[in-house]
Amino acid sequence: MHIPDGFLDLRTAATAGGLALVGAGLALRDLRRRLPPRRVPLVGLSAAFVFAAQMLNFPVAAGTSGHLVGGVLVAVLLGPAAAVVVMTAVLLLQCLMFADGGITALGANVLNMGLIAPASGFAIYAALRRLGGGTLRATLLATGFAAWCSIVIAAIACAAELAASGTVAWRQGLPAICGVHMLIGFGEAAISMLIVAVVARSRPELLAPEGSGSAPRRATVAYGLFATLALVVFVAPVASSSPDGLERVAERLGFAGRALAHDAAPLAGYSLSGFSAAPAPLALVIAGAIGTIAAFLAAWLLARVLAPAVPRPQPR
Amino acid sequence: MILEVRGLTYRYPDGHQALRRIDLEIREGERVALIGPNGAGKSTLLLHLNGLLPETPPREPSVHVGGLAVSAPNLAEVRRRVGLLFQDPDDQLFCPTVWEDVAFGPQQLGLPEAEVAARVGAALAEVGLVGFEERLPHHLSRGEKRRVCLAGLLACEARLLVLDEPTSDLDPRGRRELMGLLARLPVTQLLATHDLEFVVEMCPRTVVLDGGAIVADGPTRTILNDEALMLAHGLERPHILRHSHPH
Amino acid sequence: MRPALLSPYRHGTSPVHRAAAGAKLAVALALILLTVMLPRGAWVAYGAVGMAVVVIALASRVELRGLIVRLALLEPFVLGVALLALLGPDGPHVFAAMLAKSTLCLAVMVLLTATTRFSELIGVLWRMHVPVLLVTTLALMHRYVFVLLEELERMRRARRSRTFRHGRAVTWRGSAQVAGQLFIRSSERAERVYLAMCARGWRQE
Repeated sequence: MHIPDGFLDLRTAATAGGLALVGAGLALRDLRRRLPPRRVPLVGLSAAFVFAAQMLNFPVAAGTSGHLVGGVLVAVLLGPAAAVVVMTAVLLLQCLMFADGGITALGANVLNMGLIAPASGFAIYAALRRLGGGTLRATLLATGFAAWCSIVIAAIACAAELAASGTVAWRQGLPAICGVHMLIGFGEAAISMLIVAVVARSRPELLAPEGSGSAPRRATVAYGLFATLALVVFVAPVASSSPDGLERVAERLGFAGRALAHDAAPLAGYSLSGFSAAPAPLALVIAGAIGTIAAFLAAWLLARVLAPAVPRPQPR
Repeated sequence: MILEVRGLTYRYPDGHQALRRIDLEIREGERVALIGPNGAGKSTLLLHLNGLLPETPPREPSVHVGGLAVSAPNLAEVRRRVGLLFQDPDDQLFCPTVWEDVAFGPQQLGLPEAEVAARVGAALAEVGLVGFEERLPHHLSRGEKRRVCLAGLLACEARLLVLDEPTSDLDPRGRRELMGLLARLPVTQLLATHDLEFVVEMCPRTVVLDGGAIVADGPTRTILNDEALMLAHGLERPHILRHSHPH
Repeated sequence: MRPALLSPYRHGTSPVHRAAAGAKLAVALALILLTVMLPRGAWVAYGAVGMAVVVIALASRVELRGLIVRLALLEPFVLGVALLALLGPDGPHVFAAMLAKSTLCLAVMVLLTATTRFSELIGVLWRMHVPVLLVTTLALMHRYVFVLLEELERMRRARRSRTFRHGRAVTWRGSAQVAGQLFIRSSERAERVYLAMCARGWRQE
C-alpha cells in the first residue's frame, strides 16, 4: 500500500503529512512517558523484527505470496503507542533506504500504515478482546479481525488520498483498492493470529499487558477517535463529490474515454452487480458488509483451531 | 585491591539460588580465570561486578571496586571502572558505526568532543583496528566485533576488564589475536571461560565456581592438574597439562 | 552474507558520495517536489529533470547497471498504482504522465539511497530535532535488521531441513513459527542490549 511519489498532489500530501506529524508526535510523547527505560531497546528491536518478518513468504496461489504488514501485530505485542513508533520507523527505513514509498507521500504512508492501521486496529482489538473475556481464543479472534479491519481501513484512506489528488476517481478507486485489500486482509489476519499464537504459547508474558482500569480504555478510545478523524478528513469531501459529474466529463471527452473505463473492469470486479460504468452505492455497501462478516467468521474459525477449548472439569 | 566481593548472595525472581556467599579478591594487575560448568552462575556473578544485578541496588553492598561500593549513588563511576565484555558482541555493539560505538562510553561520561575523539583513536590503536572507524558492525568478523567492544571499554579507561567467554565462537586466528591483545594490555582482567588451554597459557590464577559457590581458588596449574576436582565440577584436566610438550 | 547485500548503498569517493547527507536529501526533495508540481503534459520539463538525474548519476560513478536494475525492480509498484488512473476520465494521458513523473521521482530516490548511508540520514533527522526516542529506534532498527535477517535465514534453513511434507498449510505454519520465535529472540536480545547500554553508562534522558 506504499504510495509512490507523483500520485498525490501537494495539498493532499501536506495535509496527510501534517496529520501524520501530529499523530506520530502524540504517540511518541505518550510512549516516552509510559515506557520504562528497560524497554527502550525493545522498540528498536521490534522495528527490526517487523522489517525482517515482512520478508517472510506466505504462499497464496500460483507463485504469488502474501506478506505481513504488522501494524496490529505490534500493537498486540507492545501496545498502540509503540506500534505507531515502530511502524513509522519501518516506513522511514523503507522510504529512505529502499525507495519503497515516495518521500512526498511519506506523510500519507505514515498516516495510513503507521497511524490509521495500528490505531483503528488496536481500538477494535481491545474492544473485541474485552467482549470475549480476555481468553486466548478471544485474543486471537480479536487480533485476526482487527488486523483485517486495519488493512481495509488503511486502504480506504489510501483511496481517499488518491481521489483527493485527482489521480484516481473515488467511484472507481475505492472498489478497486478496497476490494484487493479486503483479500489481502485475510492474509494479514491469518499471519498475525498465527504469530500471536506462537508467542502466547511459549512466552505469554510478552503480550502487551492490557491492565485494568480506565486508563487503557481511554487510550483505546483516543486512538479510535484519531483514526476516525483522520479518515473523515479525507473520505468525507471526496465521497460527497457527485459521481455523476465524473461520468458526464467522461462522456464529453468522447467514446474512447468511456470505452476504456468499461474495459478496465477486472481490477474492480468484486461488486455484486458486476462492473459497469460505476458500481451502484448499495452494491458497494452490501459487498463491504459481506466481506466484513466473512472476515469475522474466518478469524473466529481460526481462533477455534489455534486455541481449542479447555475441557471443563466435571463435578464429582 | 581492585575488586572485593564479600558474602555475595543472589536469588533469581523465580526462586532459583544463583550465588551463595561468594568471597573473592582481585589485586591490581592480576589476570584471573573463572571456570565452572554451565549454569554455575558465572555470568550472574559477572553482572554483579558492575551493578547490573541485583535489579534494585543493595543497601549493604557486597561488592567494592577499588574501594568504591557498588551501590546506587556510585553506579556511574563503577561502570566506568569495570569494563564488562558481553558474550555476544552483537549485543554490545549497538551503535551504527565502529567509531560511534567506541565513542559511546566517553560521550556518556560527558567528556568534551576533542577528548572523546582522542580516546577513540587511542583505543582503536590499542586493539589494532585503526582505519575501521567508519565500518558498519555487520560487515565485521566476530573477532573484529569483539575487539571493537574491547576498544569501547578501554576508551572509558576501565581499571578492571571482566570478560564473558572471550574466545567462544572465534576461529583459531581470531583466538590467537585476542590472546595476544589481552596479554599486552596492562589492565587487570577477570575472564570467565570454558577455554582451558587459554586459561593455562594466560592466567596464573584460577577460580572454580559450581552451584553458585566458589569451590577452589588458587594457582592455575595446581587446580587444573587436580583431575578429581576438575571432573567433580563438570570440567576436565586440559590436554596441554596431560602431556609435556617439548617446546 | 546475503542479507548484507540487501543494502542499496554503493560505496564510493565521488563528489556526490562525499557531499553532506543533509544537502543531498534537500536536493533530492527539491527535484521530487519540482517533478510533482509539473503539469500533466510538460514532457520537455520531464526530460530536463531526467537529464539532471542522469548527470548526477554519472557524477556519482555508481555502476549504472545496478541503478537501472533497482529502478526496474521498483517500477511494478508505480505501474500498479498508475494503472488505476486508467479507470478514470482521460485515462491514457493521466496514466502516461503519472508513470513518467513517478519514475523520475523513483530514479532520484534510487540515486540518493545509492550514495547516502541510512545512518547519515538518521543523523540529518537528529539535527532536525526529531524526538530522541524515534531516532534511537531508527538507529537500533538499522543496526539489528541485518542481524535478525541472518537469524531468520538460519531458522528457515533449520526448518526446511526438518520438513518432509510440503504445501501451503505447512509453509504457513512454519513461517509463523519462525516469525514468533524471531520476536521472542528479539525481545531477549533487547534485554541484553539494555544491559550493555547500562554497562557503558547510558544516561536516559
